[in-house]
Amino acid sequence: MKAPGHDTFEGQILALLPSLRRYSRSLTRSDADGEDLLQDCVEKVLARRGQWRGLNLRGWVLTIMTNLYRNGRRQTGRAPFVELDGAEDIVSVDPAPDPLERSRLEDALNSLSEENRAVLMLIVIEGYTYQEVATALDIPIGTVMSRLSRARQRMGERMKADNVITLRRPK
Amino acid sequence: MNEINQTVTEADLHAFADGQLPEQARARIEAWLTDNPVDAARVAEWSAQNAEIRSLFADYEKSTDVDIALVTGRRRPANWPKRLAAVAAIIAAFGLGALSGHYGPALFQKPDLQLTELETLPNEARNAFLVYAGEVRHPVEVFANEEAHLATWLGKRLAIQNLRVPNLQELGFKLVGGRLLPVEGRPGAMFMYEDQAGERLTVLVGRKADNRSTSFRFASSGNVETFYWIDGELGYAVTGEIPRDVLRKVAEECYRQFPS
Repeated sequence: MKAPGHDTFEGQILALLPSLRRYSRSLTRSDADGEDLLQDCVEKVLARRGQWRGLNLRGWVLTIMTNLYRNGRRQTGRAPFVELDGAEDIVSVDPAPDPLERSRLEDALNSLSEENRAVLMLIVIEGYTYQEVATALDIPIGTVMSRLSRARQRMGERMKADNVITLRRPK
Repeated sequence: MNEINQTVTEADLHAFADGQLPEQARARIEAWLTDNPVDAARVAEWSAQNAEIRSLFADYEKSTDVDIALVTGRRRPANWPKRLAAVAAIIAAFGLGALSGHYGPALFQKPDLQLTELETLPNEARNAFLVYAGEVRHPVEVFANEEAHLATWLGKRLAIQNLRVPNLQELGFKLVGGRLLPVEGRPGAMFMYEDQAGERLTVLVGRKADNRSTSFRFASSGNVETFYWIDGELGYAVTGEIPRDVLRKVAEECYRQFPS
């Protein structure tokens, strides 16, 4: 199959796919769910290409993906408890030193509401400023801050509640 | 501690941890944190967590071999003119036959009242085969390159733990992929395979209301043959336009591989 040219719309989306894949996975609970969200998003983006105003393609796509994530989960009524089913699907180039720690972190992320998780990931994974998050999600900046605060409080509670003492090797 | 430092808010602390402050404000918070160990601990925790979250998902930022297909809307190149022509010919023959009244009575007869639930399975399997096996671009929803995802997804929808996609390589059939489809009004799974010559066959799995088991049964319609059986709460059907003895081997292999 031939790759679309760099100057085409498809070519630009293609160039964004790796980072979109990372963001979609950061929102979801498994590799499979991450790929599903990515696919749904690309389909929607291609279908709506006429609505893109020609500026900041990446931001436009990230907003569409975030909204798909929040709406999709509500519509399908997906249970909040979906087991981690695909963590082994992706071959890790640089595995974290402690897989237990990774899964603890992921469990804590999975305990967040969709709204709070999306805000946290836009900031941490995508490097959005608080103002950019507010614009992307069309919410007041105060709401961004309260969601971020709630996300971090919840994460902190979850990580502490695990009653695990993490051993860290000196670097 | 001076006047300005007393106005440090939680929002400032988040912004500090996230590196979202201009230099001057940064220095102000830094000074505050040296005097306020509780806040300093929170900020340190958030910063460390940011790094851990980034590291957790860093490996996902990569291209895969499905990327081009994703953006071009072609999940997989396929070339099926022969099969499509054959299906078209069957449809044309039946269509003309129906118009002329030749097959009319058989086609439009009301369903036999004695048709039990068991007998609907081969019909659904045959219909699914006829509809999807001739499909050029989208014979399946998830292709074989995502087999693990396919098994997980369909296993969830059918509520089958550890659903495994049957491996028919020994019989010369390679997995094309699979899709979700209704089987007797509930979520069912279809797996598609093809041999080197491009002959396809399908394996259908559906949930059955009653819990009973059957031996293999056989149904034939035109050139399309189906082996089907029920094993506890699940019904299975193997369908193809291939010799009966080959199809039977496929059915036996599936029966062996599916969890009982």
